[in-house]
Amino acid sequence: MWRPVAALAALVAVTLAAIGLTFSSATRTPADFRFVNGTEPKTLDPSLMNGQPEMRVATALFEGLTRRDAKTLQPAPGVAETWEVSEDGLTWTFHLREDARWSDGRPVTADDFVYAWQRLLDPTTGAEYAYFLHGLVGARAYNRGGAAEAPRFGVDQGVFAPDPHTLVVELEAPVPYFLELTSFFATLPVPRWAVETHGDRWFLPGRIVGNGPFLLDHWRVGDRIRLVRNPDYWAAEAVGLETVDVLSIEQPTTALNLALAGEVDWLPSLYPPELVDVLQERPDFYSGPGMIVYFYRLNVTRPPLDDPRVRQAIGLAIDRREITDALLRLGEIPATAMVPPGMPGYGTPTSGLGFDPARARALLAEAGFPGGEGVPELGILYNTHERHRQIAELIADQLRRNLGLRVRAYNQEWQSYIASTRALDYDIARAGWIGDYLDPNTFLDLFVTGNGNNNTGWGDPDYDLLLAAAANVGAASQDPAALLAAAPEPDALAAALAPLDEEVDPAQRTAQLRALRLELLRQAETLLVAEGFPVIPIYFYVASGLVQPGVEGFYSELSLPDGSRAANLQDIHPLRDIRVPAARN
Amino acid sequence: MGVFEAIALAAAFLALAGTAWLPSRALRSVGGAWAAAGLLVALRPLLGFAPAALLAVALGALAAWRLPEAVLRRIAFALPSLLLLTYVTAVLMYLAPGSPFANERAAPPEVERTLRERYGVPEDATAFFTIYVERLVVEGTLGPSIKVQGRSVEDLLLPALPVSLALGALALVLAVVGGVALGVCAGLRPGSGVDLSSMGLALLGVSLPNFVVGALLMILFGIALGWLPVAGWGGYRHLVLPAITLALPTAAYVARLTRSGTIDAMQQDYIRTARAKGLPERLVVAKHALRSALLPVVSFLGPAAAAIMTGSFVVETLFGIPGMGQWFVKGAINRDYSVVMGTALVYFALITAFNLAVDLVLAWLDPRVREAQ
Repeated sequence: MWRPVAALAALVAVTLAAIGLTFSSATRTPADFRFVNGTEPKTLDPSLMNGQPEMRVATALFEGLTRRDAKTLQPAPGVAETWEVSEDGLTWTFHLREDARWSDGRPVTADDFVYAWQRLLDPTTGAEYAYFLHGLVGARAYNRGGAAEAPRFGVDQGVFAPDPHTLVVELEAPVPYFLELTSFFATLPVPRWAVETHGDRWFLPGRIVGNGPFLLDHWRVGDRIRLVRNPDYWAAEAVGLETVDVLSIEQPTTALNLALAGEVDWLPSLYPPELVDVLQERPDFYSGPGMIVYFYRLNVTRPPLDDPRVRQAIGLAIDRREITDALLRLGEIPATAMVPPGMPGYGTPTSGLGFDPARARALLAEAGFPGGEGVPELGILYNTHERHRQIAELIADQLRRNLGLRVRAYNQEWQSYIASTRALDYDIARAGWIGDYLDPNTFLDLFVTGNGNNNTGWGDPDYDLLLAAAANVGAASQDPAALLAAAPEPDALAAALAPLDEEVDPAQRTAQLRALRLELLRQAETLLVAEGFPVIPIYFYVASGLVQPGVEGFYSELSLPDGSRAANLQDIHPLRDIRVPAARN
Repeated sequence: MGVFEAIALAAAFLALAGTAWLPSRALRSVGGAWAAAGLLVALRPLLGFAPAALLAVALGALAAWRLPEAVLRRIAFALPSLLLLTYVTAVLMYLAPGSPFANERAAPPEVERTLRERYGVPEDATAFFTIYVERLVVEGTLGPSIKVQGRSVEDLLLPALPVSLALGALALVLAVVGGVALGVCAGLRPGSGVDLSSMGLALLGVSLPNFVVGALLMILFGIALGWLPVAGWGGYRHLVLPAITLALPTAAYVARLTRSGTIDAMQQDYIRTARAKGLPERLVVAKHALRSALLPVVSFLGPAAAAIMTGSFVVETLFGIPGMGQWFVKGAINRDYSVVMGTALVYFALITAFNLAVDLVLAWLDPRVREAQ
């Protein structure tokens, strides 16, 4: 009788011992700062990453020419100590600091940036964000055919290093947000020797060489990344945290439970949305406008959606207030345009998409479908997610009530959903777009004819012309007639073009061109939301989360240098500047 | 699916079915050859080609000569079914819409071409299968993951497998001990209060989904009482809640199987004999009834062990455990083809191993099975 019991006890003991071997010693002591990072980072190679979870780690391990200041999110000196831009805005010269070091002791030089940017653009790298540098002279050719097609790129063209601590960047046309790009993950430097020694595994623990405020200590897939302070970072004394745990957790309930139990310090947006009312009451909850638009694509190749009147009718029949106030409840902003508020100097266009069911019915009748008669059943495709389902059901119901349409909401999981939208195999499809930089262009260039992210079948030569003109205002302003012909509101554009005839000093000219550029973008957006209607904006996201009281250097609202306040649109919180109370350590 | 794929599949099924009718002599050589081939693939990365080949041939010959026919038949069956499984998985994967290279932000065609080339993922399932098997046999690797860059599939699965195996083993022990105890108590007095309450408990265990059980345990013991960590992996305290959550449905199933087995066994003649010769009731149950009452439980445990030990996606995501379960789902959702193939192979290996183990245990427990072999 005792033999089986003893055997069982032995089995349990062996099992428990075996389990012990799977624990890693590195994670037994809690880190100074722990945060939920959502899905597992795909890579830590700055040239190959594409999402927020990767970005949060990469900007801790590497430092670009500039970095973002936590309080303002404006570019602050990073590896570049100072920089200047030529009067025409085309040539940027960055002076790199002498004391910037890679974690293996080598100095960070201008060549490291040239190498990284060439690598980003090299077609064999397969970098999704290569287009970020397309504004550099020769970059497009290099991205197409590599050194064979653009032999001078990186040598004395586009980006090059006249000496180890000077980097020169040549732009084809002034890019107002260029400095912002130099803190973005795609432009971070990459250690050539590490890549050449270890190939596509160079960023794994024990091999990675970084130049940022933190070092990669430990990485267990599906569990966590442990970062430790980099003692050789040029501003090491400015780094407040000794250790950081980056948790890979995708389950909202798990993430929230960890936050409630005090086991994580920061939980960005990954909590069950149903609990919004309760969470909003908590003192550790923060929220603010985000730079993300939630919208529906309309397949303009499929009747009856090929008729802009039908598309506008659908847009007019959606009551966005009901969605934001009754369903979402976090202060989301109903959207009738694609570019979120908060873009400096940018005026939102007059939209033809505000809630107006009477006008919607009239338009639908005008298109030949009085009371929705004759319209086949329409499908709203969304990627599998509870929130998207609720919104789609609500909109389907609104379209039924307000237009008499038969609408069915259906879901597909992520990869199928992407394949369907790419192949234009849908009627109406849910979408979201996160801005990469603080400029309307990041939202508007998707809808250029044939852009890989357009996915609506829509294209308008006027729209393409206006966006191309905005990308190179100086040259475009030479031919105002063509611009005025393309603009939906020529008077407003004429007003922006008029001052260009005056003789002014270069600084004023730059300001005028900048204003003209924004006006061109506004005209383009007007085409989108007042004439073409390939998309129906629904709402602008709110960035929200939980952060433990006492965490310093965490700004859910920014304080700009001019004293004004601004929203932290991308919910970015550089780890370099975060501090926790000493008592906790 | 193309005509070629259909023909290939039909041929593979025929080959598989054919192993059941292989005559004894042929079986010995085929089984031995398969064993040698399998050993070669497994040993080559460890030993290098020549020593591995030598060892594999020797062991294969030994297997053909010495192993019982039933085991050889299993081996003869395993290799073609492994190939078939790989091929079917590849074909099904390619039939699913989407591709591992589709991202929210479109990549230009030249980028996708480069990526397909780099990861060995051509546009067609048969070509992929050929590359995959060739890589597995020649290089002895499961290939690079497409979505987790810089890692091969074994880099992902090897650290995750022990976690799932360990947690699964613990859950299995809990499930068997708890389930058998509950089942025997219930089965000895069918219809009594003990029976009703334990079977009610078992019903609850089977029907409550583990994300509910897990969340309840987490809220109660993690947040309200603060006794145990709510999630994560790093110490024995992290084990308690997930192991209980994972064990519960299996325990409930085992309890029901044990109960019916016990009721059945207690009515047998040999129990009356045992009682008649004056054995105390405790020994009657433990020595005589339990042995046959447990037969269905043991048969159930083979596949159950394979399932529980390869990790549960739900339990692992709920408790943030870096185990195998996540890869079954992530691989499929991300269309990470090589991860899907890798998880399928690991699952296949475990299920084959556990079924073999169950056969051996059954032979030891049940004289009828022993004689049939």
